[in-house]
Amino acid sequence: MDAPDRELFERSLRHATEHHSGAALDEALDELGWRDALVEDRRVAVSLLFELIGAANASAGALEHVLVYALGLQGSSATAVVLPASGEWIPPGVVDGERLLVNGIGLSSLERSEHAVVVARDGDRDMAVIVPTAELRLTPVAGLDPWLGLVQVTADGVTLTSAPTPLDGWADVVAVGRVAIGHELVGASRALLSLACTHARERIQFERPIATFQAVRHRLADTLVAIETADAALAAAWEDPSPQTAAMAKALAGRGSRVAARHCQQVLAGIGFTTEHPLHRYVRRALVLDELFGSARTLTRELGDDLLANRRLPPPLPL
Amino acid sequence: MELDEFRIGVDAWIAENNELLRPAHQGVGTLDQQMVHLSAVKRLAYDAGWMRWGWPIEVGGLGGSNLLRAYLGEALTGHDIVEPGIYSMTEVLAPTMIDYATPKLAATMVPRLLRGDETWCQGFSEPGTGSNLAALQCRATRTDDGWRVSGQKVWTSLAQYAQRCVLLTRTGPADSAHRGITALFVDMDTPGIAVRPIETMHGAPEFSEVFFDDVAVPLDRTLGDEGQGWAVAMDLLPYERSTALWHRAAYLHRRLQQLIETAPPGSLDPIRLGEATQILYAFRARSRATQHRLATGERLGAETSIDKVLVATAEQAVFELVEEGLAADITLGDDPAAARWRSEYLYSRAATIYGGSAEIQRNIIARRLLELGNDR
Repeated sequence: MDAPDRELFERSLRHATEHHSGAALDEALDELGWRDALVEDRRVAVSLLFELIGAANASAGALEHVLVYALGLQGSSATAVVLPASGEWIPPGVVDGERLLVNGIGLSSLERSEHAVVVARDGDRDMAVIVPTAELRLTPVAGLDPWLGLVQVTADGVTLTSAPTPLDGWADVVAVGRVAIGHELVGASRALLSLACTHARERIQFERPIATFQAVRHRLADTLVAIETADAALAAAWEDPSPQTAAMAKALAGRGSRVAARHCQQVLAGIGFTTEHPLHRYVRRALVLDELFGSARTLTRELGDDLLANRRLPPPLPL
Repeated sequence: MELDEFRIGVDAWIAENNELLRPAHQGVGTLDQQMVHLSAVKRLAYDAGWMRWGWPIEVGGLGGSNLLRAYLGEALTGHDIVEPGIYSMTEVLAPTMIDYATPKLAATMVPRLLRGDETWCQGFSEPGTGSNLAALQCRATRTDDGWRVSGQKVWTSLAQYAQRCVLLTRTGPADSAHRGITALFVDMDTPGIAVRPIETMHGAPEFSEVFFDDVAVPLDRTLGDEGQGWAVAMDLLPYERSTALWHRAAYLHRRLQQLIETAPPGSLDPIRLGEATQILYAFRARSRATQHRLATGERLGAETSIDKVLVATAEQAVFELVEEGLAADITLGDDPAAARWRSEYLYSRAATIYGGSAEIQRNIIARRLLELGNDR
């Protein structure tokens, strides 16, 4: 995508994410051709949209399309993907003979899809199984962030009607999901920072804006550093799409969003603790998104264990 | 010369000349030994042509992108041939000369720096002027044929080795702040200059106090115009926060790799190791992007303060792990390898102080990038 096209595309996406959420946003994205863009230029489509979704605190089913595409199942009947259980990245399904057991989560759009992909462990292999959504038990999750509209997905024994497709590269699918959510976390963090900076410029105490106090300025500066750190790692994950790079980028985005939430909540003080201000929505969103496909803490621990076992740093991008 | 071709050439050259390029000293060596070795390496790299790529032809270079310089420094620090701090001074001072010295002066002087014939230093900080650089008081007074300089500088890296100094002086009224500053290019052997190296906790007298007592500086040694010194300094700082940092990243990568190879089992906390690795990876990704922005002709500015915060954060994260993982070496070891780890660990404590403190970087980020206005 060249620069003018990209700018136009970004403007349409921004308009859509700022005005719609849920089913309406999915519809708007279809209309403006986001799925074509996903095929044409996956980096632009994913990085732009997910950052905007995060910034607008919107919810969408776009991740399902990204994952269907990563699974190579575009063109199949499935338009949704069951995600691993919160905090996990093992496939959400297990093949048990002729039956499929499922324990995962779904996006709000899952209910609107007739068929969903469940990636399932079958012995030491992974299988992609397409199942009618009606066969899955969907339980709405309110939890910390009811606006996200997640559903708990379980099934004690869906009978397999068609032969599951063997799947190589679940780790690559997870990597794609992590990068998309990483961008969403960066978008949410930027929104948090923007809210806090606006407040700091406007809120007067001791006859001056609180933005003049170094204690406040440095919290906000640290927030920007944390965001740009994650952003740099995400950009690297597009250039070197290895599972390890994506995991590092997701961990940095998750940790960055926690830094943003902590500092921005402190700067927004009393008003930020109320539901009259949008801050709480981003704080909630960041914590829930951080858990998807593994939290910053678990991914960092996994990286450290891996480094101690192999004694080899991840190769940096060459200049 | 394209980067890929350059990379292959430099790698082959380093492999072929490995013995010649290795320092003779063991471990970290003394600063004297490091400086002698640095000059030798620069000379070899200059004569082989590698050191000249990425610099303009007018100053003895062979042209080409800044990425070539970035790669040469990465290779030399990554292979443990040179110490990044002393090597990368060139990246800070040569661009300043190219931008602000008369073409004739730049053409005479810059090749001497690139070839390792000379060391230059940067006279910025003063006893009363650390973070508040614009308050500097080292006075330069106009004479018929130039300037007379009197005053004091401190934290001047490598001043005891330097033949030249890029010096910031006060030429306006005492309270003229950033408006009344002029940059001069001073010969360090001019009568009236006294240098006193400062012993530091990491064991190398890298910084000095420099005293100026009525020192004569010719007029054609003015960098830029009278009163333009603040612009010289501000244009120099993004260089200090770009290519030099890319070189430092290669060094940090090498040391973290060596740490995980040598740390005894159970001595490294996996979460902290994972975090340090992530931060270093992200810093390299960011610094790499900065190098590419520079290569497309983009003018670097306040956003390089983020690079600077990141390098300091990464360096301290890496060396805090070193202190934990190699505690016996750091606290009690007296062999060259242990002494080197200890010296580098101690030096990492300064990463949030030198070159604009962590607080100053955050002030720049707040004012320039977050547009939070002035802080009073």
